[in-house]
Amino acid sequence: MQVHLGGHLSFYDAERRSWVEWPDAAPLTLRGLAERLGLPAGEIAFVAVNRRLAALDDLARPGDRVEFFPPMGGG
Amino acid sequence: MIYGFTGKILYVDLTAGRLHTETIDETAYRLYPGGRALAAYLLLKHMPAGVDPLGPDNVLILANGLLTGAPFSTATRFTAAARSPLTGAYGESEAGGFWGPELKMAGWEAIVVTGQAATPVYLSIQDDRAELRDARHLWGREPEEAQAIIRDELGDKLTRILQIGLGGENLVRFAALTNELRHFNGRTGMGAVMGSKRLKAVAVRGSNRYLGIARDPQSIADLGKRLAKRVKQHPQSWDLQDKGTPGLTAGLNTAGILPTRNFHTGEFEGVDNLRWEAYEQEILTARRSCYACAVRCKREVTVNDRYQVSSEYGGPEYEAVAGFGSNCMVDDLQAVAKANELCNRYTLDAISTSSAIAFAMECFEHELIGPDETGGLELRFGNAEAMVRCVEMIARREHIGNLLAEGTRRAAEVIGDDAPYFAMQIKGQELPMHDPRGKVGLGLGYAVSETGADHLTAFHDPMVANPESLSFKGAIPLGVREALPPRDLSRKKVELYALLENWSSMERAVGLCYFGPTPRSFIAVDEVVDAVRAATGWDVTVEELLRIGERATNLARIFNVREGLSRADDTLPQRLFEPLESGALAGVAYPKDDFARALTELYEVKGWDPQTTMPTREKLAALGIEWAADLAG
Ligand code: SF4
Repeated sequence: MQVHLGGHLSFYDAERRSWVEWPDAAPLTLRGLAERLGLPAGEIAFVAVNRRLAALDDLARPGDRVEFFPPMGGG
Repeated sequence: MIYGFTGKILYVDLTAGRLHTETIDETAYRLYPGGRALAAYLLLKHMPAGVDPLGPDNVLILANGLLTGAPFSTATRFTAAARSPLTGAYGESEAGGFWGPELKMAGWEAIVVTGQAATPVYLSIQDDRAELRDARHLWGREPEEAQAIIRDELGDKLTRILQIGLGGENLVRFAALTNELRHFNGRTGMGAVMGSKRLKAVAVRGSNRYLGIARDPQSIADLGKRLAKRVKQHPQSWDLQDKGTPGLTAGLNTAGILPTRNFHTGEFEGVDNLRWEAYEQEILTARRSCYACAVRCKREVTVNDRYQVSSEYGGPEYEAVAGFGSNCMVDDLQAVAKANELCNRYTLDAISTSSAIAFAMECFEHELIGPDETGGLELRFGNAEAMVRCVEMIARREHIGNLLAEGTRRAAEVIGDDAPYFAMQIKGQELPMHDPRGKVGLGLGYAVSETGADHLTAFHDPMVANPESLSFKGAIPLGVREALPPRDLSRKKVELYALLENWSSMERAVGLCYFGPTPRSFIAVDEVVDAVRAATGWDVTVEELLRIGERATNLARIFNVREGLSRADDTLPQRLFEPLESGALAGVAYPKDDFARALTELYEVKGWDPQTTMPTREKLAALGIEWAADLAG
C-alpha cells in the first residue's frame, strides 16, 4: 500500500518521508493505519483512498493509494 | 525616550523634488504601530477622496511595522499602500525580504511619496541622508540590471533595492514592487502607482541595529534563538521550510478546492505534474529566506529545458502553481515556472496575471475574443506556450495584453457579453487560488476585504475546524472557543471570522509574516505580545493587539466608504454561488442565502452600518479614532 503523508503530516514520520510503503497485510481502518503511522488524530483533516475522499472508519485494502492531509491554511 | 521605533517619516514630494522629515509621537504610534495601520492613517491624513490612482495626487506610503527588522523569524514585512489603480479602493500589499528591515536600520518608519517626477528618478537613503537621483538611464531596464547599476553608482553592494520593472513602468494596473528581485508587494497595483510617479526605485542602507532601539534587547534576542531552534521542531514551520507553499497543491486538489479552469471546478487531472514531489524533482534548486528568518520558506528554481527559467527571480509559490497551472489547465511545471519568472521579472502580480489569463482563455473559448485580439495566439485552456506569451503581452501592453493589463473587471466591461461573468474578481481584484466553496469563512473574508479578494485577510476555516489540532489550540489565547466545520457559516463562524481578521490585520501592522504567528504557524500568541512589550516597553495585552488590527481595518474601511464603496461591493463572483462541476465537492456551491445573512451579522459584530458599511461613531470612539468619523461625509 502506498501511503502519502501530506503537508506537515510527514513531520510525524521518523524519516520525514511524505510517501511510505506500508506492507500489505490484513485490511485495517484508515484510523488504525493513521495510528500505526504515528499521525495525531487532531492533525488529520481528511483522507483519500485511490484519489477519492474517504472516512477514517473506512478500510484500507492491499494495493490502495492512501493520502492523509492536515488542516491547510493560506499562502 | 521611545523604544522599538524612531517615529521618523520621510516625505518625498516628487513634483517639487523636495524631501523633509516629520515625526510621529508615541501616543499616535501606539494606535498605528506601523505597516497597514500607519499606512491607512497617513493616507486618510494626507489624501482627499477621489484622486486619480495613477495621477500625481495619489499618495504612496511605504511603511515598516513596529517589529520589522527585529532579529527573530518572520519579523520582515513592510507595507505599500495607496489608492489602488486596480480597484479604486484602498490599496495595500505586504512584502518580506530585506528592504523593510534595512529601512528600519536606516532609522525610518515610513516614506510618504507625493506628486510626480518630470523624468524618472530613484530615491537613495543612507541612514538619515536621503536624496533623489536621476533614473532616466534605468527606465526600461530589468530589475537585475537596474539593481546592479544602482549598487555600482552608490558604491555599495549591500544596498537593498525596492523597485519596479516593466509592468510598473507600463502602468499595468496589477503591477507589483520587488525587493532583492525575489520578494514582492504583489497585490492591488502598487507598482503602477510607483510607475505613475516615475519613481523607479528606492535604495536603502542603514547602519543601526534593531536591538539598539529595543527596550529589552535581550528578550528579543532570546526569542530569535528560541524560534530559530523551534522551526524544525514544529510541524507547521517545518512543513513551510520543507515544502513551502507549493506543498498545498495536492491536498487542495484532493479536497476538491484547487481552482481549475477559471474556477469551474476544484480538481485538476494533471495535478500530479504540479504537486510538490514534481516541483522538488523537476525545478527546485534551493530554499531561501527573508531577513533573519529561519523558516526559509522561499523557493528558488532553475530550468534549462523546454523553457529557460532564471534562478534570480524566485520560484513559484502555491498561488502561481495553481494560478498558471490548474486554473489555466496547464500541467507543465516548467511553463508555470516560466510564467512566474516573467511576472517577477516584469513586476506583475502573479495572482492577478494568471487569473487575467484564465479569464481571457475562457473568453477565447466562448469566441468573445479571437486570434485578431490575441495576436494570433490560440489562447485556450491548457495552451502553455500561449499562456507564457500572454504574460509578456500584458507586461508590454501588446494585443490582448493591453486590455488585460487594465485588470479583468475593466477588460470584461470592454469585451461585454458574458465576459463580466467570467471575471473572477471582487472590487476589481482577481481572486487568489483558494476556492471559498470549500471554506466559507474565507469567502466572507474575500468579500469584505477592503483591498478586494485577498487570501491573507483572515483565516482559512480548516485552521480552526478541529479542537485537537495544533492550529486550533494555538488560537485559544485569542479567544477562540469552539471549533467549527469549514462549511459552517453560522453566527459563531462570523464572530470567529471577525476575531481572526483582527489578528491577521495586526500581523500586517506590526510587520510579522503570515507564516509566523499561530494559527497558521509556530509563534505563540503570548510570544507576539511579549515581543511587542520587549520592543517598546508598552504594557500591551492580546486585546490591545487585536484592537490595533481592528483599528487598521476600520481606517481602510473608511477610506473605501469615502470613495463611494458600500455593501454592494462586499460580494462574491456569481460563479461561486454555482456548484463545482467535479471533484470531492462536486455539486457544492457557496451558500447564497447564508452569505447575505452572515454579511449583515458581520457588520453588526464589527459595529458597521449594514448598508453603507461605515463604522459607527461608537465603534470609532471605542477604537480611539473618533477623528475619522466625519471623513466619509
Ligand atoms: S516565513 Fe517565509 S515569507 Fe515569511 S519571513 Fe520567513 S522566509 Fe519570508
